[in-house]
Amino acid sequence: MTQTSTGTTRTAEAAAAVVTEFFDRYRAHDVDGMTDLCSITAGFSYVPVEMWGKQRVLRGDGTVGTMGKPLWAGLIAAFPDLSNTVHTVTSNDDGDVVVQADIEGTQQGAWGLITPAGKHYSEPHLFIFHVGPDLLIDSITGYWNDAGISRQLGHNEVD
Amino acid sequence: MTSSVLTGTSTKTVQAFLDAFARHDVDAAMAVVDPRASVTVHPLDVHAQGADSLRTVLEDLLRGFPDLMISVSRVITTGDVVTALLRAEGTQAAGYAGAINTEKHLDIEQAWRFATGGGVITGVAVYWCQAQLYRRLAVKRYDEISIA
Repeated sequence: MTQTSTGTTRTAEAAAAVVTEFFDRYRAHDVDGMTDLCSITAGFSYVPVEMWGKQRVLRGDGTVGTMGKPLWAGLIAAFPDLSNTVHTVTSNDDGDVVVQADIEGTQQGAWGLITPAGKHYSEPHLFIFHVGPDLLIDSITGYWNDAGISRQLGHNEVD
Repeated sequence: MTSSVLTGTSTKTVQAFLDAFARHDVDAAMAVVDPRASVTVHPLDVHAQGADSLRTVLEDLLRGFPDLMISVSRVITTGDVVTALLRAEGTQAAGYAGAINTEKHLDIEQAWRFATGGGVITGVAVYWCQAQLYRRLAVKRYDEISIA
């Protein structure tokens, strides 16, 4: 349990509530609202995101502002019915929050190298959040099987 | 709220599993797994009840990558759930997940979420990206995995 200068207390329950609100806003496609729950320098890592070029590999690492926000907005544009179902949320007084959630949507626009064919995907994800003493998310890490998404969308190339 | 005593037990149980797996001692790893544990390995589409399926997952990994190195970067304890973030590295020496052996080197970031209770692991859910795995093993298509 951490007491902040503003009198807010970070508990496991408070940290979990922040992250639950994050997924509520994600479900409502409120990207600005999601970002508002994060600190301005919040770290971001979507581990499966990597694009191999001839010279270098681009990865899904950065900050919420530089990487997370454009990625979420792009996902919502490509999958206008994008939604999530949160299955478990566990947390501790240090601000760690672990979430099992399914992310799903129907493709209507291009997503990476996947052309839209109107197909639906639903894929289990594991997210690791850290919520700071100010009750703002300061780190998001995501794991999932991108091959599962590609196959469900009818894209069989391993890019 | 889970007591710190229980939390400490959860972490120790999972640490014992991870240490044993890292030294390729499957029997020791499985010694801390409830025989009725639920086992989900999303990238392999494994959704099973019973520790034997987890043993198979571990043995397949070690058969496919005999020099497998497990590097745990974080262990996060949230009550009786312990989540380990780790990197698995190794050189393919046998077919794995449908991919023929091309002796390629593999490095995959993974997350293992363990549920614990009574001093044993009662459930495990494993997350990694099979696209990354196949990319590193030179697989070109998901519908032709065995053709590198």
